[in-house]
Amino acid sequence: MRKGAIIKLLIGIIVIGGGIGYFMFQAMQSSWSYYYSVDEFSAADSAAREHSYRLAGRVKAGTIARDLENVTLSFTLAGSEAELPVQYQGVVPDNFTEDREVVVEGRLAASGVFQADTLMTKCESKYQAKVK
Amino acid sequence: MWELGRFALRLGLCLSAYAILADLLGVWRNRQELLRSGRNSTIGTLLCLTVSAVALWVLLVRGDFAVSYVAEHSSRDLPLVYKLTALWAGASGSLLLWLWLQVGFVVLAFAVWARRRDRFCANARAATNLVAVFFFVVLIFDKDPFALSTVTPSDGAGLNPLLQHPAMALHPPTLFVGYAAFSIPFAWTLASLRRKDLSESELFFPAARNWSLLAWTFLTVGIALGAWWAYEELGWGGYWAWDPVENSSLMPWLTATALLHCARMYRAQTKIAVWFMILALGTFTLCIFGTFLTRYGLVSSVHAFPDPGLGILFFILVILLWVLAGVLSLNRLRQGAVLTPLRGRGFTFLIVNNWLLVLLAFVIFVGTLFPFFSRYFSDEPISLKSDYFTKITAPFGLALLLLIGVCPYLLRRGLVKSWRTLGAGAVAVAAAAIWWLAHSLALACLVICAFVGANLVADVVLRFQQRRPDARWLGARIVHLGVLLAFIGIAGSGGYDIEKDIALRQGQEVTVGSFGLRFDGLTTERGPNFTATSAKISVFKGQTKIDGLSPSRAFYESSRRETSEVDVRRTWAGDLYLALTQVDRGGRLINLTVHVKPLINWIWIGTILMVVGTALVIFAVLRKRPATAPIEELEA
Repeated sequence: MRKGAIIKLLIGIIVIGGGIGYFMFQAMQSSWSYYYSVDEFSAADSAAREHSYRLAGRVKAGTIARDLENVTLSFTLAGSEAELPVQYQGVVPDNFTEDREVVVEGRLAASGVFQADTLMTKCESKYQAKVK
Repeated sequence: MWELGRFALRLGLCLSAYAILADLLGVWRNRQELLRSGRNSTIGTLLCLTVSAVALWVLLVRGDFAVSYVAEHSSRDLPLVYKLTALWAGASGSLLLWLWLQVGFVVLAFAVWARRRDRFCANARAATNLVAVFFFVVLIFDKDPFALSTVTPSDGAGLNPLLQHPAMALHPPTLFVGYAAFSIPFAWTLASLRRKDLSESELFFPAARNWSLLAWTFLTVGIALGAWWAYEELGWGGYWAWDPVENSSLMPWLTATALLHCARMYRAQTKIAVWFMILALGTFTLCIFGTFLTRYGLVSSVHAFPDPGLGILFFILVILLWVLAGVLSLNRLRQGAVLTPLRGRGFTFLIVNNWLLVLLAFVIFVGTLFPFFSRYFSDEPISLKSDYFTKITAPFGLALLLLIGVCPYLLRRGLVKSWRTLGAGAVAVAAAAIWWLAHSLALACLVICAFVGANLVADVVLRFQQRRPDARWLGARIVHLGVLLAFIGIAGSGGYDIEKDIALRQGQEVTVGSFGLRFDGLTTERGPNFTATSAKISVFKGQTKIDGLSPSRAFYESSRRETSEVDVRRTWAGDLYLALTQVDRGGRLINLTVHVKPLINWIWIGTILMVVGTALVIFAVLRKRPATAPIEELEA
């Protein structure tokens, strides 16, 4: 390869690579979300709680309460030790039931209630049929 | 029956392993009887797989709940059609289906339709049988569809009600036809790399290209069916959530799209041929890797690295295939293979297009595996919200969209001053400005769509003025029009949607967007295996009633689960989408989730056009069997 071609190639790689890297970094930074279990989240110090979090846990049996007037769902998210009250407004997945493993995304409010803006149920084995 | 199925799987493993040996040895020693034997054992493998698949179907229909797969995916009250589709309702059944289809296609392409090209076909068969052996091992030792349960339940769990939907019945097999058909260009690649003499490889190229076209069509339909199902059935008003399962089908689709563009401009022993091979290998291995990723929950689990069990075999297989291809190409280079330089500006644009599609697949790949990678640089596991994907794929997607508009012109004329090249530059700047300053990605997309639409019209008009366009050219234009319409639908429904969760009492009215909604009452109905409660909703525009919708909730007795059945008012301009989320019978109070989704149906119309266009292209290439087109005719 000629010297000019190599330089051109290098510049190309730097420009394109840099551009993509920049885009990826930008996009990631704003959609960064820490992924914790309820136990770890409760153990973490409160200063770290200001971010957006994604928490995994189990829906504690007997804690699901639906407020139809305000279209709000509340339940207790339980880990192996810790528990956390969660409030959520929005579409509840069809397979949301007691004792199911769920993932919630959102922030901890000052009241100590986790305000979730997304609620996902973890796939049970039968859900695997959703092959895509 | 399960013994038969199990036995057939084990026999299939032996046959496919033997076929590899026979074929490779036959090529090495140039022994016709060995090649014949390899061919026949591949056909034998297909028969074994047919027997196992039929056995599993019989078990599912008969409801033999001693087999745990049947107990988990079928039940007595399941309608017959869903008993049949339960074959691909779980991991083991769908792997079996994939392998069955793949071996079937290989038999068609390299055993039945090509009797004479023995040595080339033998290499191709060996490559695919290697893949088959891995699948068989996983099927026999890890995901055995015929495994017995310890206790025989009196009734099965039934098919997940969410999956009892026509789109979901068709979605997995459609995808698997696509995945399996990509094994043909993949096998062509490995066989071409193995042989020094390129004449047979050239002779088979049209087959590799046609199978790629077919595979791409099925993959497109499969992805669209999945999206449509999510929209119709899941009740959250969206069709795409960027979850790992969805991404794992989109990545091979993107590389396959690049593959088809390379096939159009294919020249032997050039950079394009190398691109074609890399993309064929990449697409097929992405199909396998995606299955590994989603079937073994590599990224969905929260913390501990999930034990993939024998699923790690898929990972090994992917690496093995690339190593194999690498070794074979090095070997070819050592033998003194050189690339012929390309002439013609068209190739530059093709390569830009390839890079955009491959990079798009790459950023999705990184995002999908991010939770997994993040273990290595952070103590706290990190996941990316779905807006990462929207932001990162937008620039690539919009650049590709713009290329659809100007590429045909650039190919014909090159970079010269005209409303099209200058317009493209202006539109790109305008779109970037709208995105950054007005923060409206949807508007930026629609601006580009308008420009691309004008370009498509200009192309067609020009072409008709010059000479009658052939079916292949028209087909390609229709596919691109479909892509354009899909982009319009995505921008409209993504950028201008309204979502509202509302509580309604009987007789009460609310306004969402330009619609008025009134809740008139509840009704109950019985279906074959469920009971449904529907809410009667009157839809008003101003003072006049324009429609009545009845979203409902269905309760399935056998699985004791409730699903929401949405009701949608569809128009060309968009959908009004109602999902019943909660019902309080005593208080006559319901919770509704209402979505207004402008332009969304253009996504489905666009997909149909993509399929019609590709069908036209396939029809044209099958009828004419032309040599690769001269460069002046290459337009996109």
